[in-house]
Amino acid sequence: MRLPESQVAVLEALSATDERTVAAVAEETGLKPETVTGAAFDLRDEGLVAVSETERVDHHLTAEGERYRSEGLPEVRLYRAAAEGEGDETAIGDAADAAGLDGQTVEIALSNFARKGYGAVDAGAVDPDPDAAPDADPEAAALDAVATEGAADAPTLDRLVERGLVARDESTVRSLTLTDDGVTALMEGVETAETVDRLTPDLLTSGEWRDVEFGAYDVEADAPAVEGGRVHILRQTAERVKEVLVGMGFEEMEGPHADAEFWINDCLFMPQDHPARTHWDQFALDVPPADDLPADLVERVASAHREGVGEDGDGYHSPWTEAVAREVDLRGHTTSLSMRHLSGHAVGELEPPQRFFSVEKVYRNDTLDPTHLLEFFQIEGWVMAENLSARDLMGTFEEFYRQFGIEDLEFKPHYNPYTEPSFELFGRHPETGDLIEIGNSGLFRDEVLRPLGVDCDVMAWGLALERLLMLIYGFDDIRDVHGTLCDLDLLRETEVLY
Amino acid sequence: MPVVDVDPDELRRLTGHEEKGDEELKTDLFALGLEYEGETEDGEMQLEFGPDRLDRLSVEGVARSLRYQYGDDRGVYVPSTNDPDWTIEVDETVPPERPYVTGAVVRGLDLDEAALDSLIQLQEKLHATMGRERAKGAIGIHDLTMLKGRALSDDAPAGPAHTITYRGVDPEGDRFVPLDAGAELTPAAVLSDHPTGERYADLVRDLDRYPAIYDEIGLFSFPPVINGRRTEVSTESRDLLIELTGTDQWTIDRMCTVICYALDARGGTVESVAVEYADGAEPPAAGASLRRPDLSVETKHVGHDRIESVLGIALDEATVVDLFERSGLDATAEDGRYEVSIPPYRVDVLHPLDLIDDVGRAYGFNDLDPRYPDVATVGERHEGSRLESAVRTQLVGLGFEDLLNFHMTNETDCLDRMRVEAGSAVLGGGPPVEIVEPYSEDYTILRTWALPSLLTVLENNTHRSYPQDLAEIGLTARRDDDDPTGVGEARHVAAVLARPDASYEDAKARLAALCEDVGAALATPPVEHPSFIDGRAAAVEVDGERAGVIGEIHPAVLVEHDLELPVAAFEFDVDALR
Repeated sequence: MRLPESQVAVLEALSATDERTVAAVAEETGLKPETVTGAAFDLRDEGLVAVSETERVDHHLTAEGERYRSEGLPEVRLYRAAAEGEGDETAIGDAADAAGLDGQTVEIALSNFARKGYGAVDAGAVDPDPDAAPDADPEAAALDAVATEGAADAPTLDRLVERGLVARDESTVRSLTLTDDGVTALMEGVETAETVDRLTPDLLTSGEWRDVEFGAYDVEADAPAVEGGRVHILRQTAERVKEVLVGMGFEEMEGPHADAEFWINDCLFMPQDHPARTHWDQFALDVPPADDLPADLVERVASAHREGVGEDGDGYHSPWTEAVAREVDLRGHTTSLSMRHLSGHAVGELEPPQRFFSVEKVYRNDTLDPTHLLEFFQIEGWVMAENLSARDLMGTFEEFYRQFGIEDLEFKPHYNPYTEPSFELFGRHPETGDLIEIGNSGLFRDEVLRPLGVDCDVMAWGLALERLLMLIYGFDDIRDVHGTLCDLDLLRETEVLY
Repeated sequence: MPVVDVDPDELRRLTGHEEKGDEELKTDLFALGLEYEGETEDGEMQLEFGPDRLDRLSVEGVARSLRYQYGDDRGVYVPSTNDPDWTIEVDETVPPERPYVTGAVVRGLDLDEAALDSLIQLQEKLHATMGRERAKGAIGIHDLTMLKGRALSDDAPAGPAHTITYRGVDPEGDRFVPLDAGAELTPAAVLSDHPTGERYADLVRDLDRYPAIYDEIGLFSFPPVINGRRTEVSTESRDLLIELTGTDQWTIDRMCTVICYALDARGGTVESVAVEYADGAEPPAAGASLRRPDLSVETKHVGHDRIESVLGIALDEATVVDLFERSGLDATAEDGRYEVSIPPYRVDVLHPLDLIDDVGRAYGFNDLDPRYPDVATVGERHEGSRLESAVRTQLVGLGFEDLLNFHMTNETDCLDRMRVEAGSAVLGGGPPVEIVEPYSEDYTILRTWALPSLLTVLENNTHRSYPQDLAEIGLTARRDDDDPTGVGEARHVAAVLARPDASYEDAKARLAALCEDVGAALATPPVEHPSFIDGRAAAVEVDGERAGVIGEIHPAVLVEHDLELPVAAFEFDVDALR
């Protein structure tokens, strides 16, 4: 029989009749106790060794216990100091000074002094009982006993453990004996197998691996953490949204983040004096005005703002100038991309039917708080077709949100300058069941579409990706995720969803 | 979006539905598009709604809408008006920047505190919305009995008996006692010494003459800033004068209409006011003679087909007419279309589509049956987005944690702390695109490159375990006068390896693997860059094009970011991999 070196040593140190403890075997073999234990368990599993376990309790003095053993228990010292004082009573301070006690030790002395009936403590003074016998203090005796014999009478020992003067260790003592099979194996002869730590290229090429024993690992032990690469969870969510939308027949749009207000606002029939167009809501950039606006489109958009569209259409009673339209801002929504596409200036003239989407960043001058960022991702989607109705819009959204576990949509009639009818979308939170706002939608107005040259219907909707993310993951502060304040651990620990 | 505070008891009383519980009211209001946001300290409901139906900015308007919804009222309602007793004369001296005025008289009111609060709220909300913070239209409401109209001479033609004048006043001219003040002040002093004056000073400060309204006693209103104390409205006031001034006649007329409807609902009687523009007043109003408030009913035409198409359901004519009437409109059907009458408080109706929306709301959009549109299209990702996604997958495979940072930043983080000078010819030198009048010093420019964002993440995560191998693909921008928007946008790949043994070689190995993955040829000729250690920085050349930089981050930059271990990094334009 071939066994690892340590097991051979243990086996040879055992007898079939006398139990030997692990400690004894370790001493005899020169192996570490944990190595002996490991070998013993392996041998037990082979049926060669029997292991019996008994629980053992040991006591030893703590540092405080050692100190009191040499200096005396504080209460005893207090008694002696007080007893030497003049008169019956001694002020606590004087007695403590005389006993060499300070700080916490004074408290300890006083409480034990009282507990042991060494006298009275009252009104800042100690009055030692002349009949007390601190010289025969059992706790002091027990400290000596623990130090010399490791034992003392049980109640006193408990008391000392409670006082923190004695530490109690509970351990398992394993004793080993050879089994009959073990005896047989020894008699038949046991050889030492070479134990190796790592499987090396050498071992493999030389064939030596056949003759070695691989040291066992503690396979249950924790391994060092590995972070590895991972896609940002907001990107994961964006990818999932893109996948869903492509599956629903939508084509992806791209376009500039910094764009003329014309594409961002004017094409959307947002009056130039609309409150959301002030500096307080959008980020204007310090660059020259855009110089590439298509003149014919500018004229049609201006006319829509001033005169309205269609025989009964009215314009806004607000000023409109091309100078404002040419100002360059960071886009407040990706609807600027939709306008560029619908106008034919992004990918050429579009004939119905069409479906387009984007999941891109937008910028709003909002107050930064747990649910609002100055820049966030907007999911934008639109469908262009003949005779689209509110029902088609609802059907499309039900399908989209169902992919994310959000059902039972409600459509709150709403107002946007660029869509009519317009709806805020509400859905049930998949976890909490609360009714929450999950998007804004509608059919683009004639005042938006006709100037762009679109004669059929277009329905559109928008939603913050972060909102969807927070719903799916249950985050409550978006700043932990997005931006330089992000917490790497949060990103590392977030579960991957699919 | 506007939020209006409404006392639910008042709402129940004005709708005549005392039996409605709060929850029931909330549901009915939600159907109108008014969302319950919470309640005020006084137990009033805070209702948020889209800024279209400005007639709902007060409890009276909300009650009117509910009565239509409940079917208690039908069709167009227009308050009757009495003949004018007062004239507003518009003088040639009116500042040309604020040429228009309108008004109305409402008599026989008995306003309690709640009704008065509601009126003040309506005034404030109209200022905030249509009035564009008083710039476009400002409202003054006065106790009529405190006004002394100049009587017309005996030989004047029959007509209004009293006149007040809208005119211009020298900033240091006539004094008056404004609301919440104890002394007479000149208009200029109001702007500098009165809290309300300070708040609205910007609206008039640059004018040569300030707008003012006078009666025979003198100046009593300083629009758009503040009224005089003499004519202050209280619960004792029975007859009110409402005046509005602004930059657009239509806008102030409509604001006036909304107030008249609200006061009519409170039992007041509306009386017309004559507005007489001087011949020398600003065109186009010069010489105009108007009767106000303008409560005329407009008409628009809607095709039956369009209604059915937008709602996606078949309806008969009688049903459509009924739905119009339940929306507070009147409609007559003829030849497949409807002539629809629209009451003057409906400032939101610009197009027949807006009327179809009303039909839909009255029908109940939530009662429509959703259907998936029978339209076939082919879905596709954009090439740029596919590339970005592919590169991200490779980066993650190389062990990078993918990050996402803001595109807006500041010069300190993006340039100074990286030792890069704005406008210099190195990656990240920009020149940066600046944000106009930024109101946070953290966000003043668009980032010129992405590595500073990753360095900041490292700085904020020094308590987290290493290695921290981070990467990001995201927007960078620089001033580029050749671009139509003046902004050159580029998507960059940036990566950092922060670990005790990070070296140039580690970064290059990963960059090379990435380039090889997409079949791009990489060269790394030496380059100098202030963010990197001299002699350990190289240009990233992809297929012969200079696209970025790679190297070991300079110790001065590391120390600046409180980092106590080396960082190797690279950044380049992802489009170079196309």
